[in-house]
Amino acid sequence: MTVVTLRDVTRTHGDVHALNGVSLDVAPGELVAVMGPSGSGKSTLLNVAGGLDRPTSGSVTIGGTDLATVKDLAALRRREVGYVFQDLNLIPSLTAAENVMLPRELDGVRAARARAEALSVLAEVRADQIADRFPEELSGGQRQRVAIARALVGERRLLLADEPTGALDTATGDEILELLRDRCDRGAAVLLVTHEPRYAGWADRVVHLRDGEIVDAGAVRLETAR
Amino acid sequence: MSIRHGLLALLSKGPRYGYQLRVEFEASTGATWPLNIGQVYTTLSRMERDGLVAPGGEDDQGRALYTITEAGRQEVERWFSTPVAPADRPRDELAIKVAMAVAARDVDLRAVIHAQRTATMRSLQELTRAKRAATDGLAERLVLDSMIFKAEAEQRWLDHCEAVLKEKHS
Repeated sequence: MTVVTLRDVTRTHGDVHALNGVSLDVAPGELVAVMGPSGSGKSTLLNVAGGLDRPTSGSVTIGGTDLATVKDLAALRRREVGYVFQDLNLIPSLTAAENVMLPRELDGVRAARARAEALSVLAEVRADQIADRFPEELSGGQRQRVAIARALVGERRLLLADEPTGALDTATGDEILELLRDRCDRGAAVLLVTHEPRYAGWADRVVHLRDGEIVDAGAVRLETAR
Repeated sequence: MSIRHGLLALLSKGPRYGYQLRVEFEASTGATWPLNIGQVYTTLSRMERDGLVAPGGEDDQGRALYTITEAGRQEVERWFSTPVAPADRPRDELAIKVAMAVAARDVDLRAVIHAQRTATMRSLQELTRAKRAATDGLAERLVLDSMIFKAEAEQRWLDHCEAVLKEKHS
């Protein structure tokens, strides 16, 4: 049983093969890191895996559902997939808790319950102290914790992280990876794009992309000792 | 670094017996430098001969204690105040291997780089695991961090080699 499966996925932009015949499975509890030089297709891979972009050919399956058969991708994304990006996209006029509540409210969850869920997930990422502060009042590390809380809220099983450590110093970056790892160890599937080897070191498996193709994938697989 | 400097640094905190020194040495180097007890006693007796340590009686269980002397304190102070020179580190075998792969004929440099990258990434994963599991405090954590930074530097350098190689061939 995998959370996300890519089968022979190709994505072209004009004549350019951003992805070329990529197959990849991520299981529950597994953290897979995707590495590769700029322009190798890392972000395209993440967007296709999360249903933000559709493949030119090949198939993407999330939680057993082939995305090609899904009309309302946005609803499926909100239910199944959390995203953490380098530029955090927190809404400046909302507090940390309100930012985290937002996806749940979009799903029709009532405000009181959405707030309770938000506070619980903020506690999980050790950011409950700052729930009522605005993004500009937070440090870079705190903001990224809030963004991760927002990606986690509602028990989404697939977490996609594109350079989530951005410009953070290494100690703070390690804390962010520790959060992702913890969530993973409790059953989520995490796909992490990074160009920093130290953060890929947190993964169970490291996939190298070159020119839209996977090279030496699976070679770097540590059997999990959990 | 020599074992003697490590032992002197530990003795500067107070008298210790041989086995205790071995345990503390391994703990504070994050278990990256295992010592056998023979090495500890050989080093202690040489340092005693050189006047850096002296016998310090016995503890209540009859174990022979060693104490640091004034000369020993000066030696450990000098050690801490002197930066490590590049020449004190061994040659980088990987850099030499890659250089030789460039110089040699019929060697697939790309394959050499791939094999090493896989191995280095594996050790990065293992080090990260060890760091997550680390419970022995700050010294162990910092030693593991140091090894992680080195593995990361190696990985970056390998990526760099591959990029330069690709440039040369395109």
